Amino acid sequence: MAEQKPESKRKGCLGCSFPVLITLTVLALALFIVGFLAGPLGQSFFKGINMPEWLKVPTPSVELPAEVLFHLGPLPVTNTILTSWITIVVLAIILIFLSSRSKLVPGRFQGLIESALEWVYNLCKDVAGEKAGPRLFPVIVTIFLFVLFNAWMGLVPGFGSILAHTEEGSVPLLRGANTDINTPLAIALISFVFVTYLGLASGGFGFLKQFFNFGRFFRGWGKLFTGKVKGAFGDIGYGFIDSFVGILELVSYIFRIFSFTFRLFGNMTGGEILVLMFLFLFPFVIVLPIYGLELLVGAVQALIFSGLTLVFATIASTPHEEEHH
Amino acid sequence: MDAETMKLLAAGISMGLGAIGPGIGIGILGMGAMNALGRNPEARGPIMTNMILAIAMAEAVAIYALVIAVVLIFVA
Repeated sequence: MAEQKPESKRKGCLGCSFPVLITLTVLALALFIVGFLAGPLGQSFFKGINMPEWLKVPTPSVELPAEVLFHLGPLPVTNTILTSWITIVVLAIILIFLSSRSKLVPGRFQGLIESALEWVYNLCKDVAGEKAGPRLFPVIVTIFLFVLFNAWMGLVPGFGSILAHTEEGSVPLLRGANTDINTPLAIALISFVFVTYLGLASGGFGFLKQFFNFGRFFRGWGKLFTGKVKGAFGDIGYGFIDSFVGILELVSYIFRIFSFTFRLFGNMTGGEILVLMFLFLFPFVIVLPIYGLELLVGAVQALIFSGLTLVFATIASTPHEEEHH
Repeated sequence: MDAETMKLLAAGISMGLGAIGPGIGIGILGMGAMNALGRNPEARGPIMTNMILAIAMAEAVAIYALVIAVVLIFVA
């Protein structure tokens, strides 16, 4: 985009000159061909070509439970716990460093982090309103940053390939924290407790009335005994439906924990398996679009998790109007 | 058929059938977003944000089927 570049090299595309572009294309093509021949597809098509052993990709073995690295007393520490500690340390270092050296006119790095935080802040204010948005903001942005950094750290080279030798054999030392089902379950439980607390704090026991809606049912029976028979049967019937719908709402409310867990776990584990399979079938080059998809999916899942927690918290703290029949 | 074959078959069927609904749902969401964008190109920000949110919700159902398929292949 600079008009002052000297015209000594002819312009190719992407701003590079033609010699650089040709070198890059030849390099990519060489990696493509070598990858095809070293993978299982090439080995079965061209049986005569022998690749050196260090180029061949081993068959991927996917373990769903996280592998234990060592024990801290009675508690096992798995590689996903180690990764989530690393995420916490990285997040803490970045944010403490930024907040201690914040300038009024921000530099590039500070501007980047500030724009991300401001985007989440505006989302909170849009969904929850001007007053409640800043109150909900800390929890929402914590969930967002934690899930985002867990997902993106799992893409750093070294995750899954650096091996540690434990008593079970060689296990990967580092593994993306969201691929263990415990991390999404923990965050989902935190979000559930947060939403329930907000509902109870702002609505009192009226919050529980939307689930246990037996009032009309019992009023119907009461009417039967005090004499107004015609109104009684209507109330009993509708009251039965009300309480049934209330139980259904309770089940759907508790199911949110599992839906949060499996959404995040499934996306992350599915992405990891996809990357492993593509690396196995066609080494080196073809996996790059999948890698880009993983970046996008990590960001979207973080947004979904925090956004849905925000929406549920807003719904829970908004008082419901009484229905009058 | 032995158990190993049935497990693989079940994994394939569960993922295949489980992807029909979310695929159609995401297509309908995309159509709605395109219609809205065509009517009002200035509202691109909110439309895209809400579309991404709704697509991730619809995709979660396909992810449930994927989790069942992965559990069938690797764990059970």
